[in-house]
Amino acid sequence: MRAFVFTDSALTSRAGQFVWLELNVDDERNAAHRERLSLEALPTFYVVNPADESVVMRRVDGMTVAEMGSFLDEARTAATGTTPSSPVEAALARADRLNGEGKKADAAAAYREALERAPGGWPPYGRAVGALLFLQQSLGENRACLALAREALPRVLGSPTSVMVARTGLDCAVELKKDEAGRAAAIQEMEAATRKTLAPPGVGAAADDVSSSYLSLIDARKDAGDSAGATKDAEAWAAFLEAQAGAARTPEQRAVFDSHRLSAYLELKQPERAIPMLQESEKDLPDDYNPPARLAVAYLEMKKADEALAASNRALPKVAGPRRVRVLQTRSDIFAAKGDSAASREALEQALACAESLPPGQRSEGQIKALRKKLEGPPAEPKG
Amino acid sequence: MRPTVRTALALGLLAAAGGVAAAADIERALPFVSDDYGKALAEARAQKLPLFIEAWAPW
Repeated sequence: MRAFVFTDSALTSRAGQFVWLELNVDDERNAAHRERLSLEALPTFYVVNPADESVVMRRVDGMTVAEMGSFLDEARTAATGTTPSSPVEAALARADRLNGEGKKADAAAAYREALERAPGGWPPYGRAVGALLFLQQSLGENRACLALAREALPRVLGSPTSVMVARTGLDCAVELKKDEAGRAAAIQEMEAATRKTLAPPGVGAAADDVSSSYLSLIDARKDAGDSAGATKDAEAWAAFLEAQAGAARTPEQRAVFDSHRLSAYLELKQPERAIPMLQESEKDLPDDYNPPARLAVAYLEMKKADEALAASNRALPKVAGPRRVRVLQTRSDIFAAKGDSAASREALEQALACAESLPPGQRSEGQIKALRKKLEGPPAEPKG
Repeated sequence: MRPTVRTALALGLLAAAGGVAAAADIERALPFVSDDYGKALAEARAQKLPLFIEAWAPW
């Protein structure tokens, strides 16, 4: 989004329609805003009424330029507080307001009402479906999520929204209890739908949207015990990402794909494939902690602990906040791989101290608990 | 890049890679205020414009 959509000149004419704010939620100064905005995923976009600071619209996930344009148009209308022109618009406005207030169950019910009232060709249909699917996943309502995906797919077929709907349906099917009736058939159905959305010539979805679908397909293959199928999908995922990175116009755009590419290479047990791209990104983006932090992960997987430690040494001074905890955890694993259990423990203690020092909104009790548990356990053994 | 909704719920637990990327220091087509909620809110109130917020992280 940041490297592609917000750099697109097609949005320049929108400059005077809003006041634009970017919040790095890992920055300690923004921790209180992160908490107040009930942030659950990245990226999330909000439109706020400045008079009372209420969230009038919220959207989780990336968008194409065209989708962003539609979102902004709707947000402008919603922000004016104009009385909705129809019951379906009223239900959507209520859903958006409740979603903005973090009242998930109530928001989900209102989106459901809006969708039931939605006439054919209703412009906000895809956005409303996306919002409801996210809420259902967040609430653990996997069967309802699956049902909504089934219901919505015929209506969004051939549009960029279909990628998200099919993938989310697949994710929800996989999340059903293993012994739940119809689970296997549902996975099969949603997997086929997801593959269809990825088939050439594609539906014009954002690259990150497509990339996420490959990840879901890999999970589905693994769930089926089909490691060969998972590998095949991981190869396709890596090829897709490499093509996207190859078409990037700037180092920033190319580096956007680094994290998913590394994940794909790790999935393929070929971490060495990540080294050239990460070295290039480190050279092009010298202030960014990500390339050396990812190099540390890749080298560790390659059992090159000295190179991993050198990369970790370069990443550490550049990273703060919640991400520093992860860099320190990797560092602990690197020392363990080197057989230095004392340094491994020290890095883990530093990770815990860092995690405990984070303000509300950035602090993760689950992460703190996991770190404490790890520290209470036996010293980490060298891998391999 | 963004995570799937499923992985996004955990705010970026994408394998060992550290989540999805968002490049910093890029040329923007829109006049974003960076990390200053108070300033942006005051501007929005003064200009009587809605406030658009992009929540992101450099990972």
